Amino acid sequence: MSAEYDRLEETRERSVPWKKWGPYLSERQWGTVREDYSEGGDAWNYFTHDQARSRAYRWGEDGLAGISDDKQRLCFALALWNGKDPILKERLFGLTNSESNHGEDVKEYYFYLDSTPTHSYMKYLYKYPQSAFPYANLVETSRRRSRQEFEYELLDTGAFDNDRYFDVFVEYAKSSPEDVLVRITVHNRGPEAAELHVLPTLWFRNEWSWHATGDRPALKLVSAGQPVNVVRASDPVLGERYLYCDGDATLLFTENETNTLRIFGVANRSPYVKDSINDHVVNGREGVVNPEKKGTKAAAHYRVTVKPGESQIIRLRFTDAAPVSFAKANGEPAGPFGLRFDEIVRSRREDADAFYASITPPSLSADAANVLRQALAGMLWSKQFYHYDVDKWLEERGSDPFKLARKASPRNDRWHHMYNGDVVSMPDKWEYPWYAAWDLAFHVLALTLVDPDFGKQQLKLMLRERYMHPNGQIPAYEWNFGDVNPPVHAWATIFTYRLEKAQNGEGDREWLKSCFQKLLMNFTWWVNRKDRSGRNVFEGGFLGLDNIGVFDRSAPLPTGGYLEQADGTAWMALFCQNMLEIAAELAMTDPDYADMALKFCEHFLWIAAAIGNVGGDTGMWDEEDGFYYDVLRLPDGRSQRLKVRSMVGLLPLCATTVFEGGVIAKYPEIGQRFQWFLQARPELRAAIHDPAKTNWAGRRLASILDETKLRRVLAKMLDENEFLSNYGIRSLSRFHADHPFVMHVGSQEYRVAYLPAESDTGMFGGNSNWRGPIWMPVNGLIIRALLQYHTYYGDDFKVECPTGSGRQMNLFQVAEEIARRLSNIFLRDKNGRRPVYGGSEKFQQDPNWRDCLLFYEYFHGDNGAGLGASHQTGWTGIVARLLHLFATLKSEDLCAGKIAYFEKQARATGVAAPTGG
Amino acid sequence: MTISGKQLVAIFVDRVSQQWVVRDPEGNFWTVPSLENPWDHRQPLEWRDEMELEAVPGHYKDILGVPF
Repeated sequence: MSAEYDRLEETRERSVPWKKWGPYLSERQWGTVREDYSEGGDAWNYFTHDQARSRAYRWGEDGLAGISDDKQRLCFALALWNGKDPILKERLFGLTNSESNHGEDVKEYYFYLDSTPTHSYMKYLYKYPQSAFPYANLVETSRRRSRQEFEYELLDTGAFDNDRYFDVFVEYAKSSPEDVLVRITVHNRGPEAAELHVLPTLWFRNEWSWHATGDRPALKLVSAGQPVNVVRASDPVLGERYLYCDGDATLLFTENETNTLRIFGVANRSPYVKDSINDHVVNGREGVVNPEKKGTKAAAHYRVTVKPGESQIIRLRFTDAAPVSFAKANGEPAGPFGLRFDEIVRSRREDADAFYASITPPSLSADAANVLRQALAGMLWSKQFYHYDVDKWLEERGSDPFKLARKASPRNDRWHHMYNGDVVSMPDKWEYPWYAAWDLAFHVLALTLVDPDFGKQQLKLMLRERYMHPNGQIPAYEWNFGDVNPPVHAWATIFTYRLEKAQNGEGDREWLKSCFQKLLMNFTWWVNRKDRSGRNVFEGGFLGLDNIGVFDRSAPLPTGGYLEQADGTAWMALFCQNMLEIAAELAMTDPDYADMALKFCEHFLWIAAAIGNVGGDTGMWDEEDGFYYDVLRLPDGRSQRLKVRSMVGLLPLCATTVFEGGVIAKYPEIGQRFQWFLQARPELRAAIHDPAKTNWAGRRLASILDETKLRRVLAKMLDENEFLSNYGIRSLSRFHADHPFVMHVGSQEYRVAYLPAESDTGMFGGNSNWRGPIWMPVNGLIIRALLQYHTYYGDDFKVECPTGSGRQMNLFQVAEEIARRLSNIFLRDKNGRRPVYGGSEKFQQDPNWRDCLLFYEYFHGDNGAGLGASHQTGWTGIVARLLHLFATLKSEDLCAGKIAYFEKQARATGVAAPTGG
Repeated sequence: MTISGKQLVAIFVDRVSQQWVVRDPEGNFWTVPSLENPWDHRQPLEWRDEMELEAVPGHYKDILGVPF
C-alpha cells in the first residue's frame, strides 16, 4: 500500500494539511468574467494577455506550472525566457474568442504528467521554443481563417522545427505538508547548445491594494550568494516561509502592483511594479527592481546553457523551515540541498508509482495504464483556487443590487449572495478557468477513483449557501450563473456515497442527508421554474448542449412559442430517480425518508408518462422514426416535432435506474401506497416501462422506455451510419450528413447538418460543437444506462451491435464495446498512432511527444481527433473511470445487483470491501 | 460639478492629463495625484473640453486613499 493512502487518511482523520499546497494557480486569470469591469461585459478584451504581465489581478493569480496555498495568499510558478521573445514567458498564451476562427484556444504545449491526490508528488512538462514565440503570427493567421478551416496551431508556425525547443519538466515533492521540494529539469532537444533564462518566481496575491489594511505581506532576501540564496516570505496569516534557491542565481525583487503608467497612463508611485522583473531581464532596464532585495514578488534568475541532447537541473525548496533548522537539526552537509533532497524526490515519485499501481487494474496494458494515470493527473492538476465575491464585484463596478436606479451590470447581478473562495475542480484551467456545475458532477466520477474525500467536498461545496442561489438554483458558471445546466448533481452524489460505502463498509449518511436537503431545494426550483404548463414537461434552454438544436434554445424562438425539450424532461426524470435512490438509502435507517422515496417514485412516473403521453399526436416520441425529438409549440396552437436526430433524443434512454426493492420490503405500507397509485393510474404505466414488473431477482426498473422503444432507439444509436462511431456515440446522427434538417421561418433558413469536427457558426461562442463530435460525459451517461438495463434485463436481452452487423450482444457487452471505442481515442492503435492526435505527425511519431497525452473537450465524430479545449481533463477524465470499470467488472457481477459494481471498485482500488454492506 | 443625491464613488483616469479623477458620494469630481496619501492632495477637477474620462474599477479606490 502506498504512503499516499496514509497521507489521505491523515488529511481526513487528523486534519494534517497535506493538501494545503497544491496546483491551485490558474493557467489564465486574464480575460475572465471576475476580472472584467467593462461596461458591456467584454471580458476577453477588457483584461488582455498583453496587460496581464503589468496589471495586478483582483481575484486570483495565474502562472506556469504553479502552486499556491489553498487560499492563494502566496504563489510560486515558473517564468522562462529564451533570449528572443519580447516578454518573459510567465503565463500561457492563447487566442481570445474573437481572435480565433473557432473561439478561444490556448496556443502552447504543456502536459500534466503526474500528481498524487495530496500533491505530494507532481510533474508538469512545458515545451518552449528556442526561436521567438510567434505571438503575432498566431493572431494574424487565425483571424484570417474561416470557420470552415482548421485552427492554426503552434506546431503549424514552425516554432518546433528541427526540434529547436526546450523540454522543461517541473517536479514538486513534499517532504512534509509545509516542505515542498522543486526540481526543474531543462532538456535541450535541439541540434545546438542553447541558453535559457529560468526564473522561479514567488509572489503574494495582491490583497493589500484593495482592502486598505496595514497587513501587507513581504518577501526579503535573508541570505545571499553561493551555494544558496534564501528568500523569506512573511504573511500575517501564513506566517513565515522560505524559498531556498540552489546554485548560481540573481535574486530580483519587485511589487505585485499594477504598472499604472502602462495600463492607465498615470505615473507610478513606485518604480517597482508587476512587470519590473520582465523589463529588467528582457529589456535590461535599470532601477526597476528593488536593490534592497525586498518586495511582494521575487524571482531567482538562473541562466543555463544546455548542450544539445543534454539537460540541466535547478533545485529549489519552499518550506516553513528557517535556515537555522537546516544547519542544526538535520545534520546535512549542505543544508536544504543535501543528499536527502534527491532521495525525497525519488521517494515521492515511488509513492506515486505505488499509488497508481494500486488503483490500476493489472489487466490494463502499459499504454492504457499511462492513459489512466495522465487522465487522473490532469484532473488533479486542474484544481484551482476560485475567488469571486459577486457583491463586492458589483459594488466595484458601481452597481448596487438593492437600488432600483442602479447601474446595470452586464451579468450576475442577481447572484450577489455569492462568495466563492475555494479550491474547485476546473474544466480546463486555461480555456475554462471557472467552475461549471454540471461539468463538476462528471469530474467527481473520475476524481473519486483517487480521492473520494475531495469528490464529496466538491459536491457539497456547490450546495453551500455561498454558492447555491437562495431560490435553490445551482450556479452554472461565471459567464451567467443563472444559466440552466443539466441536473446531474444528485447522480454524482449517490454514486459517490455508494462508492465510499463500499470502501469503508458504511456510507457517510450525514453528508448524504445534508446534500439531499439542498438537492430537494434544487429539485423544487426546477419544478417551479422550468415546467411552463405544470404538465411535468420541462424546458431549460441549451442545457449544456450548446448548438445542438436548429435554434438557439436559450434565446426567444424566431417562430414564437416555445420548445418542449426531450432532454430537459429526461434530465428531470433522471433527477427524480437519483433523488429516489438517495431517499431510499436514507430510509433504510430513517423512516422519515420512506415518504420521500414514494414521492419521488410517483414524481418520476408523472414525468416519464408526460414524455410518453403529452401532446397527443405530436408528443416527443415519433413512432415512425422510433426516436425522441423536441416539440415546437407555436403561438397559434400548432405543434411540430423538430426531427433532428441528436443526443437530445438519446437522453430519455439515459433516464433509467434499477431498484432492488429495499424500501418496499422494509416499509410494506409504502409498498401498498405505491401499488394503489399504480392501480389508480393505469395510463401512467401504459406509456412507459411498467414499474410493477419485477425481474427474476425481484428488481424493478424505472425507465421512460419500455422494451420495444428501447430496442428501437438502440437500433439507431448502435448504427454506424447514425450515432455509433469507432470512437464512441456521436452527438448528432451521421444521417444528417446527407439529410440536413432544414426549417424556414419567413425568409430565414435554419439548418442542422452533421459536422464531425468544429462548429461552423458562432452560436455559443463557436468554440464547441454538438452537431456530430463525440463528448465523453454523455457517453458516460449512456454507458451507465446500459448497465442499469442489463442489471434488470440480464444476459438474455440482446441487440445487434453494430446494427446490421449480425453480432448479437447483451447490454453489458454493448456498454463495454462503447467504452472500448471511447478508450481507443487515446490508446495507440496497431500502427502505433493515437487517434486523439489525428494528423499531427509530431505527436504521432516523436518519442518526446507521443506519450504525452492531452484530454480534449470533444472528439471528431469520424476519426476521434481531439477538438475544442485541449486540457479539458475535467469531464474527459471520465475515460479513467471507464478504463477502470471494464477492467474490473464482469457481466455476471451485475447479476448480484448494481451495488456489486461499487464493491468491485472498492476491491480494485486496493481498499477493503465491506463485509456487511 | 455637483449632482444632487448620494451616489456611489467612482474612479476614472484622464489619459490626457495623466491623472486619476474621483467622483465622491456628493457628486463632486476631484483630481488625485500619484503621490503618497493621494486623497489628501486632491484638487477640484477643472473640466476641459479635451478630457475623456475612462472608468477604473472601484477596487482602486484604496490605492488612492479614497475614504468612502
